Amino acid sequence: MAAGVKVLERKKRTLAEASYVPEIAKGLGKTMGRFFKNTFGPEEKKEIATVCYPEEKREYPPRFRGIHRLTQRADGSPRCVACLCCSTACPAQCIHIEPAEYEPDDPRYGYERYPAKFIIDELRCIFCGYCVEACPCDAIRMDTGMHMPPSTERGHFLYGKEVLLNLPGRDGTYLSGNPRHEPGDPTHPGVTREQGH
Amino acid sequence: MPTFKLNGQEIPFEPGDTIIRAAWRQGIEIPHYCWHPGLSIAANCRMCLVHVTSGRQMAMPVLRWDEKKKEYVPDTKPKLVPACQTGAQADMEVDSVGPEVQQAQAHVQEFLLLNHPVDCPICDQAGECKLQDYYEEHQHTLKRKRTEPVHKPKGVRFGPTIVYDAERCIMCTRCIRVCDELVGDHVLDMRERGNRNEIVLAPGRELDHRYTLMTEHVCPVGALTSRDFRFKARVWFLKTVDGICTGCATGCNSHVDFDPRYGKVYRLRPRDNEQVNGFWMCDDGMMTYQEAHEHRVVTAVDGRGEDAEKLLQEEATEELAARLKGLDAGSLAVVLSAHHASEDNFVLAEVAKALGVKHVYLAAREAEDIGWEGDDILRHADPNPNRAGATAVAEALLGEAPGDLEDLVGDVLAGQVKSVLALGAIGGEKEGSLDALKNLADVIVLTANEGPLPSVASLTVPVASWAEMFGTFRNAKGLDQHFVRAIPSPEGIEPAWKTLVAAAQELGLEGIAYARTGEVRTAMNDAAAPAAGDEAQASAPA
Repeated sequence: MAAGVKVLERKKRTLAEASYVPEIAKGLGKTMGRFFKNTFGPEEKKEIATVCYPEEKREYPPRFRGIHRLTQRADGSPRCVACLCCSTACPAQCIHIEPAEYEPDDPRYGYERYPAKFIIDELRCIFCGYCVEACPCDAIRMDTGMHMPPSTERGHFLYGKEVLLNLPGRDGTYLSGNPRHEPGDPTHPGVTREQGH
Repeated sequence: MPTFKLNGQEIPFEPGDTIIRAAWRQGIEIPHYCWHPGLSIAANCRMCLVHVTSGRQMAMPVLRWDEKKKEYVPDTKPKLVPACQTGAQADMEVDSVGPEVQQAQAHVQEFLLLNHPVDCPICDQAGECKLQDYYEEHQHTLKRKRTEPVHKPKGVRFGPTIVYDAERCIMCTRCIRVCDELVGDHVLDMRERGNRNEIVLAPGRELDHRYTLMTEHVCPVGALTSRDFRFKARVWFLKTVDGICTGCATGCNSHVDFDPRYGKVYRLRPRDNEQVNGFWMCDDGMMTYQEAHEHRVVTAVDGRGEDAEKLLQEEATEELAARLKGLDAGSLAVVLSAHHASEDNFVLAEVAKALGVKHVYLAAREAEDIGWEGDDILRHADPNPNRAGATAVAEALLGEAPGDLEDLVGDVLAGQVKSVLALGAIGGEKEGSLDALKNLADVIVLTANEGPLPSVASLTVPVASWAEMFGTFRNAKGLDQHFVRAIPSPEGIEPAWKTLVAAAQELGLEGIAYARTGEVRTAMNDAAAPAAGDEAQASAPA
């Protein structure tokens, strides 16, 4: 016999074990005990792990990644500059952006561009949060705390710019935490050459 | 050839070469912004500073911060020289990676980024920007300046093609030199000094010559951007293959940048080829990428006007063979295309030969019809990429030079031609010049784009465009240049030569059975071999 092999004696079952009856009674006793305690017992003694979703909801951890939202500037325009960093980082390739340019008479012309289209395929999304990490201007977030509403229509899961912009964060805010002070904003610290240095 | 040593490696050089050019020829890059192999030397960016370690050393007195004494102490550092301006000398020893050079490069980088807005998210150059690349390679330190950077004009429209952003500009003057030296039009210049420096247009002018996109091409940063490509795509999504410009008979070499996810070509960039186009392309040539998507024919159409009926692609090939079967070869005209690859033209000429066709013509764009003008820089007077190739194929296989479309119309009116098998979309752009063909029952056109020929066709068969196939163009100098497939064709569409091979097999024509581009090329070379002498003569520069 090879070294290191330990030979064990097979244990014989007792009559009680072989009949299964006491073990079944023990098991059922536990089950029924819990049943009566959780059904008729006092509230504080109940031991229930499940909740009656959706009437009752568990509190999610603060960093729970729900459906996306696009943050807004103070004037309600999207903070997003359509740099495509999020769609580059996206491993599921679920973000489609078409950038556009502000008109030449807009004070933001040359400093910002904006997404003419911003579509996220929420069905394809794997909720990894890379888009949020990649965003250089805090324009996309996953802090809505929401799940996708169910639907039987695939098209309903293609969330466009308007939908994403109008989803609030869990704290109810819409604004970006990173307002950039563009020319045209009263908070802009720089000056143009025409105004002198 | 004399040599010098760069970081211990022997670099051969020609007399008159600078260090950076000799290294560039060997494929070694010394970091630079303002130097460009096709332009004069400006030596203003100071990024290419190197240390010449042979010969007499010059030491510069400097004050260096001493961390222990907490004060500046006198010290020396070697005098560095710009590699773009310093001539290479035999047995010279140059160091371009030493600590002094690295320090100089890091400092130059920090200086160039001092007032840079770092708006990479909205900058089209991001991904192919020298500032980004060299930051990663040579700087990797944070900016120490804490004050607001100097603001300058952004989004200045320089002309119909170019937008300028002064904040991103590093004043390398490459764009000015392109206008001066390539085009000979001093439309750009620089004004002010120091951090107020900016590129401006000549008063009363716009950047509107024929090579404006070259200013964007040479711009090492995002200061000049092309209005056509602006915000269309991110360059890191694009893949590149080697292409040949279809704009004119010069056959400029290009990079075809396309997005493989959407099968879409986004732009062309010039590809260096000293024999053909140097480093440049013209604006019209750069815009020829649009042919790959605009006015594209993707469905086969049988019949004209209201009787027109759409066909599936397989049906189209069968219909093509069926129609050819019923035609009288004596009155059938075959029209080659100066706009299609030699491979397409070769197989069409082979079909014509096998059928015994007598009338052969060449469809080509005429310069005056499309407002094309040649010049002495790159633009050839003939706006067709493959007139020489198509003519050579016709001469090698059919033994005669093809007539032009006017001859075709003449022969149709004279009643000698009763049916037409044509390749390509482009004929004379003159309205109604091909109306005579409308009366013929069988005008079969294999085409990638809409145009005058498809508009008179009674059977249109879509074929692959140049972006969707491997092929060869022969330029005006007689140089055969291959191009590579960038994007897949729309479902079921094949190159014209493949469509013709399929039709030839249905017809039972012998000897026309190719499966690959390489086989067509071999057959084409074999056919051209006996007439090689004549061909060289025929394709001499016009």
